[in-house]
Amino acid sequence: MTIKLPSMLHSRLFSFIALATIYCCLDCVGQLNAVQVGDVVGEEGVVMFNRDVRPILTKHCTGCHGGVKQAAGLSFVYPEEASWTAEAGDLEDSVLFERVISDDPDERMPPPEHGPPLSKQEIETLKKWIEQGADWKTHWAFEKPKNADVPKVSDPKWATTSIDPFVLSRLEKENIKPSPDAQPARWLRRVSLDLTGLPPTLQEREDFLSRIAESKTAGQKNSVYADEVDRLLALPAYGERWASVWLDQVRYADSKGLGVDGRRNIWKYRDWVIDALNKDLAYDEFTVKQIAGDLLPDAEMEDLIATAVHRLTQSNEEGGTDDEEFRVAAVLDRVNTTWQAWQGITFGCTQCHAHPYDPIRHEEFYQFAGFFNNTQDSDLNEEWPVVSAPIDSSQYESAAKLDREFESVKTEIWERQFSAVSKDKNWQPLTGLMAKTNNQTKVVVKTVANRDEYRTVDTVTKGTQFTLTAPVPDGLKQLTAIRFTALPLDSEKAATDSEWGFVVSHLEARLILPDNKTPQPIEIGRIVGDEPMPFHDPNGSLNPKSNVGFSAYTRIFAARSAALILKEPLEVPAGAKLQVVLKHRILALGAFPLIARRGHLAVSDSKDFSDLLTDKQLNSLKGKLSKLKANRRKIKSTSVPVLRERPEHLSRPQHVFIRGLFLTKDKQVQPSTPASFAPMPKNLPANRLAMAKWLVSGENPLTSRVAVNRVWARLFGVGLVATEEDFGSSGDLPSHPKLLDHLAVKFQGDFGWKQKELLKELVLSRTYRQSSVVRPELLERDPNNRLLARGPRHRLPAETIRDQALAISGLLQTKMYGKPVHPPIPAGVWTPFSGKDKWETPKRDSEDRYRKSIYTYTKRSIPYPMFAAFDCPSREVNAPRRLRSNTPTHALTTLNDETFVECFEAFAKQIQESAKEPQQQVKLAFTSATCREPTESEVNELVMLLDSYADDKTRGYQTLASVLLNLDEVLTK
Amino acid sequence: MNRRSLSTEMFSRQLAQTTRRHFLQGCATGLGAMWLGMQSGQNQASASVPLLATDDDPHSVRIPAKVKRVIFLHMIGAPSQLELFDFKPDLKRLDGENCPQSFLEGKRFAFIQGTPKMLGHQFPFKQHGESGAWFSDRLPHLAKHADDICFIKSMQTDQFNHGPAQLMVHTGQPRLGYPSIGSWVTYGMGTENENLPGFMVLLSGGRLPRVGKALWSGGFLPSVYQGVQCRSKGSPILNIADPKGTTRDHRRAMLDTLRRMNKKSYDQFGDPETLTRIEQYEMAFKMQAAVPEAMDITKESKKTLEMYGAKPGKTSLANNCLLARRMAQEGVRFIQLYDWGWDSHGASKSEAINEGFKKKCSDMDKPVAALLADLKDHNLLDDTLVVWSGEFGRTPMRENRGGTEMKFVGRDHNPSAFTIWMAGAGIKPGMTYGETDEVGYNAVTNPVQLRDFHATLLHLLGFDHKKFFVPFQGLNQKLTGVKEAHVIEEILA
Repeated sequence: MTIKLPSMLHSRLFSFIALATIYCCLDCVGQLNAVQVGDVVGEEGVVMFNRDVRPILTKHCTGCHGGVKQAAGLSFVYPEEASWTAEAGDLEDSVLFERVISDDPDERMPPPEHGPPLSKQEIETLKKWIEQGADWKTHWAFEKPKNADVPKVSDPKWATTSIDPFVLSRLEKENIKPSPDAQPARWLRRVSLDLTGLPPTLQEREDFLSRIAESKTAGQKNSVYADEVDRLLALPAYGERWASVWLDQVRYADSKGLGVDGRRNIWKYRDWVIDALNKDLAYDEFTVKQIAGDLLPDAEMEDLIATAVHRLTQSNEEGGTDDEEFRVAAVLDRVNTTWQAWQGITFGCTQCHAHPYDPIRHEEFYQFAGFFNNTQDSDLNEEWPVVSAPIDSSQYESAAKLDREFESVKTEIWERQFSAVSKDKNWQPLTGLMAKTNNQTKVVVKTVANRDEYRTVDTVTKGTQFTLTAPVPDGLKQLTAIRFTALPLDSEKAATDSEWGFVVSHLEARLILPDNKTPQPIEIGRIVGDEPMPFHDPNGSLNPKSNVGFSAYTRIFAARSAALILKEPLEVPAGAKLQVVLKHRILALGAFPLIARRGHLAVSDSKDFSDLLTDKQLNSLKGKLSKLKANRRKIKSTSVPVLRERPEHLSRPQHVFIRGLFLTKDKQVQPSTPASFAPMPKNLPANRLAMAKWLVSGENPLTSRVAVNRVWARLFGVGLVATEEDFGSSGDLPSHPKLLDHLAVKFQGDFGWKQKELLKELVLSRTYRQSSVVRPELLERDPNNRLLARGPRHRLPAETIRDQALAISGLLQTKMYGKPVHPPIPAGVWTPFSGKDKWETPKRDSEDRYRKSIYTYTKRSIPYPMFAAFDCPSREVNAPRRLRSNTPTHALTTLNDETFVECFEAFAKQIQESAKEPQQQVKLAFTSATCREPTESEVNELVMLLDSYADDKTRGYQTLASVLLNLDEVLTK
Repeated sequence: MNRRSLSTEMFSRQLAQTTRRHFLQGCATGLGAMWLGMQSGQNQASASVPLLATDDDPHSVRIPAKVKRVIFLHMIGAPSQLELFDFKPDLKRLDGENCPQSFLEGKRFAFIQGTPKMLGHQFPFKQHGESGAWFSDRLPHLAKHADDICFIKSMQTDQFNHGPAQLMVHTGQPRLGYPSIGSWVTYGMGTENENLPGFMVLLSGGRLPRVGKALWSGGFLPSVYQGVQCRSKGSPILNIADPKGTTRDHRRAMLDTLRRMNKKSYDQFGDPETLTRIEQYEMAFKMQAAVPEAMDITKESKKTLEMYGAKPGKTSLANNCLLARRMAQEGVRFIQLYDWGWDSHGASKSEAINEGFKKKCSDMDKPVAALLADLKDHNLLDDTLVVWSGEFGRTPMRENRGGTEMKFVGRDHNPSAFTIWMAGAGIKPGMTYGETDEVGYNAVTNPVQLRDFHATLLHLLGFDHKKFFVPFQGLNQKLTGVKEAHVIEEILA
């Protein structure tokens, strides 16, 4: 165990390295060490701001003169605020230069107590930069990628695809020769695992090699490679493999997270991702559908399911938790995830303050949050809103059609009725109100303007029932409707900080005649609420057996009203009183009685309401609605939480949160994108759809770069920008900037945002085809292979390790889609908070025991042990990249875990039956595990192992199988 | 610290010789560079230094410290400080009266509604030891250690729901995804016994903490630093047992073949990771013997078992306290115990102060006292720090869930005041730091935030919390977070 303290540069940069040489060694996922980061671009001696100057500022200056701290009002994050410090060509007039070279400790920057002075070299760089014109540039990643000329190389024939000249040119500058091609079979294994997460079968290997053997020219050979890639990309396994890459980005899990971490039924989204990848849905559409599929005209079922991406946020079902707090947390997570997954920017910094390094201001976080703040979901245990997705995707279209019709009919019905309710002139407020409760809840009546309202005081008790009595206004001869309006106790505050809402479990209305003490029941025909698609049907309040009905569930932040329409107009004698009884029975999260704490009543004699009851068109619409409902019910479906916008009249204002805390709100803001980036499309309303289109517009500098970098990193082990999660000023510079831009431009243009096209370009490249043998002379110089002088060689991802073992041993089941499965899990792991949450492992004869890893149930608080051991993120929040550790836990897993032991048994059987002679058995088995034929010494080693089990052959073969499936070469690509 | 076994040392040397000296350094820079890679531009060049064969003193980052390991006892659910340590006679006088409105303004509660009633302590208190520390009669055994213990009675947190509050205690953040204290400590200090994980977690059974493994997760640190949960029943560590019928000899022979095969791969590809993998398989083999050995309490004397109230084969806090002492002996760096069932709302019999709480106290009192005594007997208390905590405190008001008087007596969550205590190396024994107001509702004298507690804990282990960080996602991430934290100098020995 060694701890090394690197030289202190500046407290900000002081870094701590500890290495557990004993337990762990991480695969090299880092930066160039001996070689310089950043391509050697520009002429000799020309200082480039982004490559040479910005890192100096970030290192020494932005800690105090940045986004968060702007000492002396100076920030190097916003060039317009800092450019005065450097006068082009004039060192004497450049404060920046004067201060960094000063000997006076009171003058010198950074001040001695903050860090050491700049090095001679750094000062020289600043000097040259000022002399050369002090040109402040935007951070490289915030400028649109531009297509660069293909570099000239000494051996143009080496290249097989467009990326190769970029790689070769860099190698030539470093005087390094690329590696020779890997053996065709090794390339085949590499590309099969990379594209499909599965190794080639013996047959596939043989087919490929025989076609290679038949090819006479390099061109023919290339087309065999290309055909093989086409074959692999067409396999369903392609979508399954690459889905896991995307699911990390968007924190996919089958559980809700936080307090209870109960099950969430959202697997249709996972299937949608697999399908989208297999169909090669263009990345721009892939983006728009996920962020705003619900806002697309005539949204299809897939478009709605795609929006589940932002329902993968955690929700909290713990008793006593505040639904609004966790609704807001989910909204903020949507902002962070969108920026991380699509933009590679640590936008989350700006939740509490301006970005320390990048030109993004605090309020811009909340402007962006405004895009997500008006969806209907609100941390309900019920996961509402959901869409009912047909199990069989061939029924998506017909189901979506029915749903659209249903929604339009339902909205029409609501609008026809609500128009009568919303007319103020239809209503007369009640005064002289008396309010009583059935329990300890105290209630008072206050007169506000021309009406009386009741308000509870202090503690409200569960099961509260209000009896509200008031004289019917003089002159109202006929009663056609009663309106109940519920309000937050503090309306002004609730507009931004909502209060606990209410559910009217049941209500009754009566008329008390002056001469008769027994109240006369009033028959209510229907209740019309203020939402077209409410979570609870308000008419539930009429059913004494139902606990739910008209409600603000679970929060109220503005007045909510419902009209009770009488079955028949009722004659009201003078002096009569109206009595309304409101019963509440719902307790949210075991703690909060959902009671309408403040409210008032109004009455109407308008014919508008009595007309509604006999409105023929309305009745025919209702008939239509029930027919649609019946037809829809015939389609077997499963629910998926989705994004759905709130109706405009119930929209929530978005405020800046002071220091990121939702309880302390600052000024109100409107949805928009940060000012430092290209503006949103002007012809669209500023909503999620416009924002999604902004993400994939040609003007967005990041989307394409981040996407191609992610794909690159999965193939080559490290991204061209190693910090996949940070393309900002504090992230790494790209190792090959021109190559990154070349790919980014091509991805949006020539490739039409198609990931399969991009992958082809990469895996058919000479760069990717190289042998992965590590050349000793390069190990020191470029240990992480950032210069790409050899082919990639890395430990496989968790899912691939498991799937490969199942595939080699013949156990793998290729059934696609569906509910998550529960393969064997070590005893004692599954201890969920709720005892009802069972892990039921299918028997050994069931295919669900051996499905691909992507279908395994993902519970955030109890990660599947095999995946966790091999660095799968637990998916609470998005994970832009995975680390690759190398620990003893890996060994224990792949030696002793039940699934692997079953693989050994199955593989052993196969081996035994594959041939008569042990020699031949070993050869076949080795080849099927590694995709290459063993050397003689390898055969001997393994035959010797078999021989040592002469008295227990079964165990011998199983041991052989366990050795093969644990080979470094098998666990590594 | 840094006691490396001979075999590891030999192995590393052999590696250095056979593979050119820089070979492991390549890996090492890989790890260092990964963290540094999250920093900007070219800074890493000066920082990515070889980790082996260095002339620099690896201890230079550390403050001299006595504490070599930590046993952290966490009572899931938040035990009532008002029934254990924080004696409030004034509260008793107010028992049954309406809570003053000033207590309620601007506060958020999990379950209390409107105006609750005040609730005095439910058990008699007495002073103990020379220090005169207050204990209720629920803790007769622990009270004997009054003069070993340093109390902080003015703890505060900003979370009032269990999940986020537990994360605050263990990771310094209310959100998931951050390394727990044990991960930070093993990351910084490594392990003393390479056959056992450096960070081990023991649970008393019952319910898993709400946020589960996140409490002992390594967050953004490499997965090797996450806590390893050991079970007192079944396989102590996942997959530690060989498959049925596989003997140790079988395994050894299999691993020998595997090692020779992998060596051939290394000869062909020259990938340093291959050698690391070979070593990890060897390490796993050694762990397979060492872990069950450490977890086997049947070898303890009858007297010891009785002192703890431990019963081999059971899952209990008593067994775990005994295991904690065994692990401390074996040099495990961070031993985390979780006990559950302390959430005394009064909503059910088992979670009532006048019912289930009493049993929880007696189940905790004896083994924890035994642990302190046993550590002392083994001279382990000189370099081991024992910490006892909940995730927040409980209200001086009686809970009135749903706005009604409840059948059982309970208290709601109170983030404004709770008690943590420590015993062992580095702290002043027999003292109390900080005070709450006259009803124990709010920390008023020397309030201590969790980040201050974390800073102090790191200090005790020899780390300056301001300098102990990992750059991740654009921020130098620290256990103590971004707000200013202070080491509580007054409690340091």
